[in-house]
Amino acid sequence: MSNADCAMVAIRGLNKWYGDHHVLRGVDLDVAAGERVVVLGPSGSGKSTLIRCINGLEAYEEGELDIAGVGRLAGAKAVEQSRRLTGMVFQGFNLFPHLTILENCVLAPVQVAKRDPNVVREEAMALLAKVRISDQAHKYPAQLSGGQQQRAAIARALAMQPKVMLFDEPTSALDPEMVGEVLDVMTALAASGMTMVVVTHEMGFAREVADRVVFMDAGEIVEIAPPAAFFDAPRQTRARDFVRRVR
Amino acid sequence: MSPPRPRPRQPLAQRMIDALRRRPLDAAAALAVLIMAAWIAPGLMRWAIIDATWTGETKAACTEGGACWAIVTSRWRQVLAGFYPKDHLWRVAAAALVLLAGVAPLLRRRTSGLALATAPAAVLLAYGVMEGAGVLPRAPTDYWGGFFLNLFIGLGASIFALPLGIALALGRTSRLPVVKGLCVAFIEVIRGSPLIVLLFAAAVVAPLFTPAGMTLDKLTRAMIVIILFEAAYMAEAVRGGLAGVPAGQVEAARALGLDRWRTLVFVVLPQALRIATPALVNSFIGLFKDTTLIYVIGVLDITGVLRNAVTDFAWQGLETEAYVFVAAVFWVFCFGLSRWSASLERRLSIPGKSA
Repeated sequence: MSNADCAMVAIRGLNKWYGDHHVLRGVDLDVAAGERVVVLGPSGSGKSTLIRCINGLEAYEEGELDIAGVGRLAGAKAVEQSRRLTGMVFQGFNLFPHLTILENCVLAPVQVAKRDPNVVREEAMALLAKVRISDQAHKYPAQLSGGQQQRAAIARALAMQPKVMLFDEPTSALDPEMVGEVLDVMTALAASGMTMVVVTHEMGFAREVADRVVFMDAGEIVEIAPPAAFFDAPRQTRARDFVRRVR
Repeated sequence: MSPPRPRPRQPLAQRMIDALRRRPLDAAAALAVLIMAAWIAPGLMRWAIIDATWTGETKAACTEGGACWAIVTSRWRQVLAGFYPKDHLWRVAAAALVLLAGVAPLLRRRTSGLALATAPAAVLLAYGVMEGAGVLPRAPTDYWGGFFLNLFIGLGASIFALPLGIALALGRTSRLPVVKGLCVAFIEVIRGSPLIVLLFAAAVVAPLFTPAGMTLDKLTRAMIVIILFEAAYMAEAVRGGLAGVPAGQVEAARALGLDRWRTLVFVVLPQALRIATPALVNSFIGLFKDTTLIYVIGVLDITGVLRNAVTDFAWQGLETEAYVFVAAVFWVFCFGLSRWSASLERRLSIPGKSA
């Protein structure tokens, strides 16, 4: 099997500009099915932009982006399809404040995937149990702590049965004592075989969970390496500087 | 761990004295209000209630020196329902109930989409009951009037204006320049014109331009103008609500695969309308009072009926009573509305959210 066939996410020559600012500069990246990739880099390096491109929240000017083969479809259909295949977890949770936690999880499967509400509700309860907040199912987001909200947001994304989960700095907005509970859920998710692309500043998580670390700087991928190799012996100067600063 | 202790409390009188001492300006204002009230209240009470005359056939009956409320009570039917046929007043009551019943479901914590359809249906049903057809003898809008007319126009126009206002607000935020331009132009033209001028245009100017054979009665024309007028104001209230929904909400919805339309219906509008509620109620209260301008098309609402009454020789010179009564009726309704709106805001608020 060639690499391209088993790639869940295949990115080729991705270029993006904000106005005249070149924010992604020829990014190539393959993520295999079941692989956990952690994207590291200083702020402004284009990590968030990259994963926002993967699920179509950001448009890009050049290059190809393919999720489980659907990218070969053209245009809007492809964006719609790739959204169905990816689950996104945001830094700011972005739960819908006017809906209960359970309703947050049920909305898209019923309205978008047109699935049976009763089945979806049961599945959502199972997911909420998995992220250990089933007792909060009938509360509203603002009644939960940040850590609980982020776990609910993970359950909401999983309810759409995505093939790839994207995390955009999922713990950056949390109080320090809540970071652990969210990382635990993500670690469990990784152990279940989910394909994950995680932008984070949590080096411990990267070291323990990632199959590969992608280091970005100034809109390009500088180095891709297994975590042990990356943290202990980064090859590139920019990566070495970064590792020295975060350690 | 130290055990919790009840918060120490002073007696009420002591707390009040402390509060006034801490805020001398408040104390002065409170004193001023008390003095004003003591000065005005007795005279007002004597005029409006103690020395007032409540019934009578002409102003000659009013001999007590106080207010002559007989001008209102002697024609209570007109005050409530204009010149609607006497034997059919139940239809006015029924229509008012239908209107209120149609609005009620809109004001629940979770408005169902169904209520958005039943409310306009209720307005049309109320119209049908009043206008009459089939078993109900016809009573054309020329006979309508009194406070019912204020209610019918205020509620009816708002119900139709809300969806239009939402559409205009969305149009105003559209990426299509033509749609956006048209919506902005409409809103700004309407908001820049006094309602009385638009009503006059609907009554007098519009018939000159309508094709021969097509006639709309003047109340319907006025209704359309008021709906458009109110929609422009509601659009601005809704736009404020739309701006208050964080961008992350739309992103989360899109990331879950919701298309533009579902994002709007399930995520953006429920939050935007909740934010816009105080402004929407405010604009409704404004409109409700503006329904008194309907006299320019020659229909007699509650103000018109009483303005007519004071030109009657039997009641001449009782403008004060007439207008004080109208003011009191509107005050009671608008104050009630604003209290109710405050409770609505509480009920609409999302648990756990402070705002």
